[in-house]
Amino acid sequence: MRYAKKTGYVLALILFLIFTAGPFVWTFILSVTPEHAMFTGDGGLLPETVIWDNYTELFSGGQRGSRFFVSLGNSLKAAGLTLCIGIPVALVSAYVLGRMRFRGRELIRSLLLITMVIPVMATIIPLYRMFAEGELLDSLFWLTLVYISSYLPMAVWLISNYFSTIPGELEEAALIDGCGRVQSFLRLILPLSRPIILSVALIMFLNTWSQFQIPLILASSMETKPMAIVVSEFVTKDSIQYGLVAAAGMLALIPPAVAALVFRRYLVAGMTSGSVKG
Amino acid sequence: MKKKIFPYLLLTPMILIMGVLVFYPIVATFSYSLKKWKLTAPGDIRFIGLKNYLQILGSDDFWYSMQNTLFILVFVVACTTLLGFFIGTFLNIRVRFSGILLALAVLPWALPPFVNGILWRFVFYSGYGFLNKLLTGIGLTEEPVEFLASRWSLLLVVSIVVVWRSVPFMALVCMAGRQSIPTGFYEAARIDGGSRWQIFRRITLPLMLPFLGVGVTSTSVTAINVFDEIVALSGYSDLAKNILMDSYLTTFTFLNFGEGAAMTYIVLFFALILGIFYLRSLAKEVSYE
Repeated sequence: MRYAKKTGYVLALILFLIFTAGPFVWTFILSVTPEHAMFTGDGGLLPETVIWDNYTELFSGGQRGSRFFVSLGNSLKAAGLTLCIGIPVALVSAYVLGRMRFRGRELIRSLLLITMVIPVMATIIPLYRMFAEGELLDSLFWLTLVYISSYLPMAVWLISNYFSTIPGELEEAALIDGCGRVQSFLRLILPLSRPIILSVALIMFLNTWSQFQIPLILASSMETKPMAIVVSEFVTKDSIQYGLVAAAGMLALIPPAVAALVFRRYLVAGMTSGSVKG
Repeated sequence: MKKKIFPYLLLTPMILIMGVLVFYPIVATFSYSLKKWKLTAPGDIRFIGLKNYLQILGSDDFWYSMQNTLFILVFVVACTTLLGFFIGTFLNIRVRFSGILLALAVLPWALPPFVNGILWRFVFYSGYGFLNKLLTGIGLTEEPVEFLASRWSLLLVVSIVVVWRSVPFMALVCMAGRQSIPTGFYEAARIDGGSRWQIFRRITLPLMLPFLGVGVTSTSVTAINVFDEIVALSGYSDLAKNILMDSYLTTFTFLNFGEGAAMTYIVLFFALILGIFYLRSLAKEVSYE
């Protein structure tokens, strides 16, 4: 019986590993396979010779390589900007909506939450017009603000749920001791909320790195196009060089994969607290 | 007096961002959807009431996209729920490398959907894809199968990739659900002589339902908003377009802003229905008192 259980577990483990890691491994193999070996049906799954040409072509500063790296830089800049603006706005809003009493609180909260499920396409046509008329189609700042508007509901929801687990007595004591609202927020609430801030920051970073639909419409220049858009142009516009696309894909996955693996505790905590109340 | 406006003052940045970039555009999209408005005929923009909607509902093209949307929705929700449940159970088993397994399990959720699509395109590619090499290698087929060339198999592949990305969240939700059930319940049931199946049906499943509710509604919202994977697997072709893709093509390729806007409102309608369920299941508190 125990033996059967163990075999079952190992079998499940193997299936799990193939299903989860398989596509990464295969893409990596393709990225080091010579182009001519890809087309032969008779060859095995592994290439006979390993080449790094695709990677060196990307790094050598050729036309595609530089386009790709500029786009990685754009994604990184957008992510930084998202965090610098998004996190403070989300923190303050979550604090006010979660801990202060005032008229219209419930209404604002509900209106914010309902936008969580609104498809990007439902807002993008007027946004496109606004951006085109205001000549903002090559502004990374405005593009980033649109990203932030799509993260705020999730961020405020997660953070205010977390705030509600901090006992009210703690803050009352601080207020009685002469701390103002601002002081108690900065000195008491913020330090206690480090884990959820990390979770939300990580989720915002990953989402910004993933952006495709919004920049497809709102980013028109080389100065703003993020990674996914440039990779998509490798696939749909240029004559396709599969090894190069595979190599670019692998490189593009490194930042989010490293972030997710290093901060996995916060990622899992953030994802689950989104699903479970408080 | 100062106290009274203080909260609103603090909320101003959030209200400005959401107002200008979400609420105004939503209302504007609705007004576009009631207009005849083609960028190819810029002189002829006028109010036409619900004509765009009627036009869309009467076209075969829309029902084609609708079928695709529903196919993806049903397949993704069913497979994600089942797989997520099993993987959640699997990850709950404590082993030495549990942490690493969990991290690995979350990766597909964390990575860019477009790049995910590319990875899977390499797996399913007809020329030298992994699956074709495998199938021809073990002699199941003589010729490589064209997975991405016909409508239903392409939709199937799109759905599989979306499942791959949605399973992690579902698995985590299921894990959280399981861990929320007090172990005392199981002990009591075992002492009362409940069989494993009975315990599963009478304790595990009903107590996990609220969690499954969150997972299923959130997966449904994901499934009707699929876009990146379709582009990654088939470009901007018509073959596997869902309503969202249709709306994108109508608006930005055919430059028919009125009809495109109306189409997004049809998606929005479904998203909002699902969204209400989602928010309700989020707000449901589970208590064992």
